[in-house]
Amino acid sequence: MRTKSENPVQQTSSTTVTDSSSTASMDPIFHLIRILPFSFLRPPRLRLKLPSISLPSSNVVFALVLLTYFMVVSGIVYDIIVEPPGIGSTQDPYTGAVRPVVFMSGRVNGQYIIEGLSSGFMFVLGGIGIIMLDLALDKNRDRSVKVSYASAGISSIVLAYVMSMLFIRIKIPAYLR
Amino acid sequence: MAVTTSTPTSPPSMAQDLLNSLPKTLKLKTKQQELLIRVATLGLIYILAFITRLFSVLRYESMIHEFDPYFNYRTTLYLTEHGFSEFWNWFDSDSWYPLGRIIGGTLYPGLMLTAAALYKILHFLRFAVHIREVCVLTAPFFASNTAIVAYFFGKEVWDSGAGIVAAALIAICPGYISRSVAGSYDNEGVAIFALLLTFYLFVKAVNTGSLSWSLASAFGYFYMVSAWGGYVFIINLVPLYVLVLLIRFVGFQHVQSGEHMAAMGVFFLLQAAVSCGSDIWIVLQVFFFLDWVKHLLGDVKLFQAFLRITVTGAVSVGAIALGVGMASGYISPWTGRFYSLLDPTYAKDHIPIIASVSEHQPTAWSSFMFDFHILLFLFPAGLYFCFKRLSDATIFVVMYGLTSMYFAGVMVRLILVATPAVCLISAIAVSATVKNLTRVVRAKVQTLQSGSGKGTSASKGSSKGVIDNSQPFQKNGAMLLLLGAFYLLSRYAIHCTWVTSEAYSSPSIVLAARGAHGQRVIFDDYREAYFWLRQNTPPDAKVMSWWDYGYQITAMGNRTVIVDNNTWNNTHIATVGRAMSSYEDEAYDIMKSLDVDYVLVVFGGVTGYSSDDINKFLWMVRIGGGVFPVIKEPDYLVNGEYRVDKGAAPKMLNCLMYKLSYYRFGELTTEYGKPPGYDRARGVEIGNKDIKLEYLEEAFTTQNWIVRIYKVKPPKNR
Repeated sequence: MRTKSENPVQQTSSTTVTDSSSTASMDPIFHLIRILPFSFLRPPRLRLKLPSISLPSSNVVFALVLLTYFMVVSGIVYDIIVEPPGIGSTQDPYTGAVRPVVFMSGRVNGQYIIEGLSSGFMFVLGGIGIIMLDLALDKNRDRSVKVSYASAGISSIVLAYVMSMLFIRIKIPAYLR
Repeated sequence: MAVTTSTPTSPPSMAQDLLNSLPKTLKLKTKQQELLIRVATLGLIYILAFITRLFSVLRYESMIHEFDPYFNYRTTLYLTEHGFSEFWNWFDSDSWYPLGRIIGGTLYPGLMLTAAALYKILHFLRFAVHIREVCVLTAPFFASNTAIVAYFFGKEVWDSGAGIVAAALIAICPGYISRSVAGSYDNEGVAIFALLLTFYLFVKAVNTGSLSWSLASAFGYFYMVSAWGGYVFIINLVPLYVLVLLIRFVGFQHVQSGEHMAAMGVFFLLQAAVSCGSDIWIVLQVFFFLDWVKHLLGDVKLFQAFLRITVTGAVSVGAIALGVGMASGYISPWTGRFYSLLDPTYAKDHIPIIASVSEHQPTAWSSFMFDFHILLFLFPAGLYFCFKRLSDATIFVVMYGLTSMYFAGVMVRLILVATPAVCLISAIAVSATVKNLTRVVRAKVQTLQSGSGKGTSASKGSSKGVIDNSQPFQKNGAMLLLLGAFYLLSRYAIHCTWVTSEAYSSPSIVLAARGAHGQRVIFDDYREAYFWLRQNTPPDAKVMSWWDYGYQITAMGNRTVIVDNNTWNNTHIATVGRAMSSYEDEAYDIMKSLDVDYVLVVFGGVTGYSSDDINKFLWMVRIGGGVFPVIKEPDYLVNGEYRVDKGAAPKMLNCLMYKLSYYRFGELTTEYGKPPGYDRARGVEIGNKDIKLEYLEEAFTTQNWIVRIYKVKPPKNR
């Protein structure tokens, strides 16, 4: 619940900016510092302005959120702690050649770095597909833009779902059997 | 939720007669139809959430699963037999011999009290059920309740359609099912219900501003605190959320103004040692208190003076309190488990016992996929919809979702806490998308005549989402997409049921495998061994085993154990670990000092069971070596590799754990075509087949050699 502003914010901030530099300040550390070094040191007169922090727009925040989601779902914490190799390797028993293994098999909670990143990418792609589908169904656009959004969205979702199913089937051979 | 009434064009006369012959009461208005459908759906979801968790009851029997639930069951039994005040002041000398354990003060009583209350209610209604049945079915019952709360929560955040989808998603989501199957009698089964209830009541209080909802939310939080240690999540999330709302609506000025800066800094420092949540609470209290005082005092100068005096006084008192607290040790830093959430590498380097628990491992992508499936796609889409329509409630849900997803990424076990948020946000995505699509499907087609501009149908039609007549495929396309959406949701349901049936319904105490001809083979060795202990050992016998089995031995075997799953005393566990990793004579001295009568080991070499003590042995070495430097891990490895065959390290081949696991195993042929002494779990022939025990003798080995019990011989007469 928001407090109704009986005390307008701007007024207090302007008064306190001047007051904090005067003797009427109630900040004890300020008083302490005023006595100890600055009774004999003279601070130079500078023209400094506190930088004004403005809230970022919701699009920027959403992009950051998507990026964080991608990292978490790719298992980045697992990568940092367990430090698996980027890609596994197995040796062919007959020829002796070293073959790469993309999906760590044997357990559900284990991955190589690249498999984690590609799966995370598929998940985010699916999410973006649904978002594009919603943008396509928005009324106030040209028809061509809507069609391209819709087709991009549908193809993203289909691709992401098919690839995710493929990945999980490779990783866990007994899946859905 | 406007529903257009369908006007029948020209029904055949027979149907017309039938319709007219129905009594007036059965013909429902649209609103009542909608209510009926909604209530019927929620009823079905309630039943579904319950029955999908009953796989193991149907396959095996109604029994308690795993390890921790056995402790909870034992305490609930004690509570129903002896009453609350005995339970609250219970000192248990049956575990952690010779230290004992203060049970009353070290557990979360919410779960036990809930189950005991249900038991008492059922007995009052003259249903004479055993407390074990109540315990087994508590978690599915509360899962059904959680689904209903999710419906109300979704209704609060978005609309009732999203609520129903949320209830349906959470009823079958594997992330929640994993900790709330029938038989999994653990704190989380009740705690997730309390968590969602608290959050729902809190959002309701934020939306309505009423005091009664906030009071209800406080009671919900009290229930949560009594049920699970995860209440820390609530107490940190809620103040963070309030801070975000403040910043969003009031702006940065309050935070920036100089008069608060230094004082706030000191306040932060003061509270940092105790809890981050109350830290932010204090800051918020400061905000509102100062605003109120400013309003009261009126005069600005007076207020400044008041502020000066208060802040100086508070800072000095706080500094003195902090100094005294730190010096006397009263204020302690964060416990290891919670600290490892913020710094995930901490446990790996410093506390091996936390790092060894498999639930505490960080999460790989496949665990996410297993537990969430489609919801992983719907979650970012749902976030997008929430950002599109920002309100107090959606901000809360977004924050809950993001923070819980981060923690779920750090620890597998916490996927459970993220599940309600993910289900809610995905439900928003599903509901919004389906609404969009159905709007297109049901839109009236604009006729060519209205293109001239005058007809009333044109003006009415345009408000309902008219589509251009030149795209007839739009309706069909939307229909196809709707079918696609339903296909995806049905795949989700199939996945959830499969995962529940195959992965999360195992009681862990009873093992199952496929025989040679595909038939199901059951290994009930654990309960066989515990029952043997109960029947064939003196009542005051002490059993030494690795801490995993402590709760089960105390609950089912009814014997005193040295260490159990509570793992509160690392040195005691390290002593047991040292005993297991030493040569037999050193281990005998340690066992004699602990008064051990029996030793229990779990061995999977005959059945191929891979969670046995030999596979856990390195953790015993690490934990023992963490406290007693005489145990060194490299002694047991060969070139960094852990082996049990001929090439294994000599210390490994002669340590107590090896001897107890493989005693007489060298004579046994386990697999056709392999030499005797072939270990099926490690896939190698063991190195030391001729094992002689000097200080212990074999007391019991179960049918499939999974649990082996040895008796410690008394010292020789001199």
